[in-house]
Amino acid sequence: MSADSLELDLERRVGGGHTSATGSKSRWQDGIDVAAILLLAPAVVLLLALFVGPVAFAFYLGLTNISLVGPTALHWHFTGLVNLRKLMHDQVFWESLRITGIFLAVSAIFGVTVVGMVLALLIQHAIAWLRVAVGAIVVVAWMLPPITAALLWYAFSTSGGTLSFVTGTHMDFLNAFPMTIICLANIWSTAGFSMLVLAAGLRNVPSEVLEAGRMEGASKWTIFRSLTLPIMQPTIVTNILLVTLLSLANFSLIYIMTAGGPGNATNILPIYSYQEAFQFNKLSYGALLGDVIVIIATVFAYFYVRASRRTVLSV
Amino acid sequence: MKSLKPLLCSTVIAGLAAFGLQAGTRSAQAADKTVISVAYGETYVFDTEDLTKKWWYGIKSQFESAHPDVTVQLVPIGGGYDDIINKLSLLYRSSRTAPDVAQIATPVIGEFASSGYLAPLDSYLPSTSWWAQFPKVIQGEGVYQGKVYAVNTGENDSQLYYNMDMFKKVRLPVPWTPHNWNDILVAARAIKAKLPGVVPIWLNAGTSSGDNGILQGAGNLLAGSDLPTIFDDKTGKWVVDSPGLRETLDFFHSVYSEHMGGQASDLFSPSAVTIPLTLLQQSKVAIVFGSNYYGGNWTKLICSPCWPVAAQVAGVVPIPTIHGQAPNAATTVGGWDLVVSSASKNPKLAWELVDLMENEENQITAANWAGFVPASQEFVKAPDFVNFAPPYNAVSAQVLPVGVISPSSPDYLIWSHGLQEATGAFVTHPDTTVDAAIGIMSNYVTNQLDPSQVETLK
Repeated sequence: MSADSLELDLERRVGGGHTSATGSKSRWQDGIDVAAILLLAPAVVLLLALFVGPVAFAFYLGLTNISLVGPTALHWHFTGLVNLRKLMHDQVFWESLRITGIFLAVSAIFGVTVVGMVLALLIQHAIAWLRVAVGAIVVVAWMLPPITAALLWYAFSTSGGTLSFVTGTHMDFLNAFPMTIICLANIWSTAGFSMLVLAAGLRNVPSEVLEAGRMEGASKWTIFRSLTLPIMQPTIVTNILLVTLLSLANFSLIYIMTAGGPGNATNILPIYSYQEAFQFNKLSYGALLGDVIVIIATVFAYFYVRASRRTVLSV
Repeated sequence: MKSLKPLLCSTVIAGLAAFGLQAGTRSAQAADKTVISVAYGETYVFDTEDLTKKWWYGIKSQFESAHPDVTVQLVPIGGGYDDIINKLSLLYRSSRTAPDVAQIATPVIGEFASSGYLAPLDSYLPSTSWWAQFPKVIQGEGVYQGKVYAVNTGENDSQLYYNMDMFKKVRLPVPWTPHNWNDILVAARAIKAKLPGVVPIWLNAGTSSGDNGILQGAGNLLAGSDLPTIFDDKTGKWVVDSPGLRETLDFFHSVYSEHMGGQASDLFSPSAVTIPLTLLQQSKVAIVFGSNYYGGNWTKLICSPCWPVAAQVAGVVPIPTIHGQAPNAATTVGGWDLVVSSASKNPKLAWELVDLMENEENQITAANWAGFVPASQEFVKAPDFVNFAPPYNAVSAQVLPVGVISPSSPDYLIWSHGLQEATGAFVTHPDTTVDAAIGIMSNYVTNQLDPSQVETLK
């Protein structure tokens, strides 16, 4: 495509996109927009090289016997479904999958969203200085590096920490209730993001609708349940999906606090994948577990894209 | 002024030309030099980063002085144990990045050798003065399929530490010499009964410290049990249930069901293996299954933590065997080794660098700065080593020859993890039975490997 034809094509687009004899020259017969392809090409190449390629290779590695070190470190080969069969019979994997589900459901889908919504409602109705102060504190918690959040919660929840001091016990809450503490730490560190998203959604709820509800004599709860929540549904769904993806990638928080323990109590899939690949040197099986994480993330990402489209269309 | 200009110009040009010529010559000289690269742990192996630098730059300086045509390229690897092993694994995947010499952990020698990454060293060893001084068990740690691929550069073993002031308070004998495991439990019970608020016995448990927790905990008990087999060479299977494992776990059962062990938050901390160093210093623990490096860490040089009067408070004795059977001392042994890459273009020079690192002065310095016991039975008697952290270094040297090496196989870490989970169960649920703990271990190892790869010994 020449520079002239590209210019013509762009002119046509800016001018309203009417089809002319000149404009049709810049398209192939089947209607493919060459300019769009050229403009998208760098992004597509980068996506293929840096994302699709490595992910595809990771799927392939999951079906081999490659190890980090050992006889099959260099001389590895395709082993078909051997690793998949092992995965199907791996009790630790199924337990890890269950724990991952609990972690995502309790902390991401429910916890972060509810806390984020409560905070968003509070700052919406709070006086200005309080809104700014609370918003800043929550956002700082979200901005903290995972290692800092993990160390804070480790110090807070282990024996001799703030929690045992406040409750007047010497209890080691982290090891007595590992999954509960991990979920709370994740909620604490991610709620700021949720609050920002939901606060933006709340600002977009038309005040006329809420006013109409009040004039009809509806209680605050009824207005929230029957008007605010339905209007905010696309935002809430988007928030849940994003928070779920963020939590699924939150390897550092759990690894630093418990490394998956005690026993396998907090051994979510990213931790189990790391353990197999880099502690037991079984790169292929670690890659296969990583593939499962990619599939889970893809499912959530698919629903996120669908929800986003619906949001855009409704706007 | 005018007349000076040409002179100034020619001086500058001549100067630049001379500098360029010199730089060119220097780069040509550098290009002519042979480069020997050596990879090592930057932050994990030695006690401090300063001592790491001091030792490795010292080695570089010594070797380059002896070989003016050679440059030693240092390749420090940051991070912890797993990071060092992972980075080395990646470096060795290509002959272009494989270091000529590397410091690697004892448990992974077999894996690196089986990858084809390492060169056999058998032909060099007979000419050295130090190799014959290594105990047989330590000579064997670098052997893979009958050939020696690694030589030790510092070991860690374990002992029992005890607080002599507490022992005197509860009228236990000082110096204390437990003859069997029951003697340890009897002393711990006496401490618990008479000194509330003190941890009677520290015994590593759980998964937070990885295999270090086994090397400095359960592994020592298993080594002194009636049947210490981890991997059955006859059948090629991993042992997940045996009299030795049951005796070991029964000791854990006694410690934790009688609430004589440490707090879960300490035991499950990522730094669990170093916590007793501070607990001993603060008189918060009576008996500790601990590593040889404690004494060195308390010295003024290492100071982690500083404890100038350690020798007057913390006694040290070998860990006894279960019934006091010969040799009546039991310990795991694990450390760091030096290897030469099979891809090295200068294997002889690489070996000479290893040989330099293995001399008496360098080995004793490494032992004192990294908390090791030198492998050579001659070096362990040297005053510079024994007097660095008395009386601890003498005891750790005494038990070294009876030490037990872990099997060098990737699957060992799975077996070890299974045992870590079993020991951790006693902490989270003190009513856990030995049968249940054996079940936890057996299930984990069998699930990770295959039923055909595990066995029960009677």
